[in-house]
Amino acid sequence: MAEESGNTRVYRKTMPPSWWTRKAHYFWYVVREFSALPLAIWLLLLLGEIRSAANGPAGYHPLGGTGFVIFSVIALFFSLYHSYTFLSLSGAIIHFKVIDRQFPSWPIVWAQMIMWAIVSAFIIWALWWFST
Amino acid sequence: MAEKTITIQATRFDPDKDARPHLQSYEIPFIDESMVVLDALNYIKTHVDGSLSYRWSCRMGICGSCGMMINGQSKLSCSAFLRDYWPKPILVEPLNNFPIIRDLVIDMEDFMHKLKSIKPWIIRKTEIPLGSGEHRQTNAQIDDFRQFSECINCMLCYSACPVYGLNNEFRGPAAIALARRYNHDSRDEGTKERLPVIADAEGVWECSFVGECSVVCPKGVDPAKAIQQSKLDTSLRFVVPFGNRE
Repeated sequence: MAEESGNTRVYRKTMPPSWWTRKAHYFWYVVREFSALPLAIWLLLLLGEIRSAANGPAGYHPLGGTGFVIFSVIALFFSLYHSYTFLSLSGAIIHFKVIDRQFPSWPIVWAQMIMWAIVSAFIIWALWWFST
Repeated sequence: MAEKTITIQATRFDPDKDARPHLQSYEIPFIDESMVVLDALNYIKTHVDGSLSYRWSCRMGICGSCGMMINGQSKLSCSAFLRDYWPKPILVEPLNNFPIIRDLVIDMEDFMHKLKSIKPWIIRKTEIPLGSGEHRQTNAQIDDFRQFSECINCMLCYSACPVYGLNNEFRGPAAIALARRYNHDSRDEGTKERLPVIADAEGVWECSFVGECSVVCPKGVDPAKAIQQSKLDTSLRFVVPFGNRE
């Protein structure tokens, strides 16, 4: 829309609601931000399960239908993507020097990825151990 | 043999006549493989339509004047080769996220205001007399800020930043990168003066790390990195005991 700016008439374009479809980079940024939503919903469902489990076996009806399984798989992919992007960005954020030289970013990223894999493996093992 | 030509579709806007911008097509000779979009605009201005308005100066990616949207991408028009687009037409528009004054000329007042707000100059508590000689720096001290000092204020990063496009109160990539450049200069003592500006709600915390600013930067400044590192630094200054001491 045209508007006055000082003594000049200027035209100001507004961002269209579809701005995130202009570039692949924008699209994946929105996917990254959106990926927290299914994860948050899944965690809320988990909290609900824990709450119902606290009332004893009689009132506990675990979620297990096809819809929940499909949603869990989708939430898993989103959470993996969210974690991957978050940890990848750490290489740009964390910065320090070793003997007067900037420490490269790739060991920082890889160290976090490896720690992530170790913690995930431990959780999977703990869940398996409790279930048996 | 017929002369090779290329079509340039340029945004036209006359504030005295037009309600909104429109596109105008120009078919110009593509006679030299080294021609860039700026050469095409200069050809149009000289031979076809003298009323076409745009900014340019050095023609070698140094002055930062000729930033435009070229086929929807933020680019310096002096660095966009016609050969990369031919035979398709090239769409040349003014930089996104800025008000248009005329044709391809944008109003950079907001950017200049934001640039000034971070005090992009060396601030000293006590000036060192000129007669005392150079203020020497080691290579490591220069490396601390060199990357961020490459900025040519071309505003491509602002045109690519959807956060700035949606909320132009955001201080923006170039200004924050430049603040970091001075904060990390061993000669500077002005970090505390810049901190309230870069650490406020419209400063680094408004950025959600889209990262496109670093993609389009023609000088490899990586403003997204500067902003994220500034987030970490400003947080540490707040959290770590004595973090705010100079």
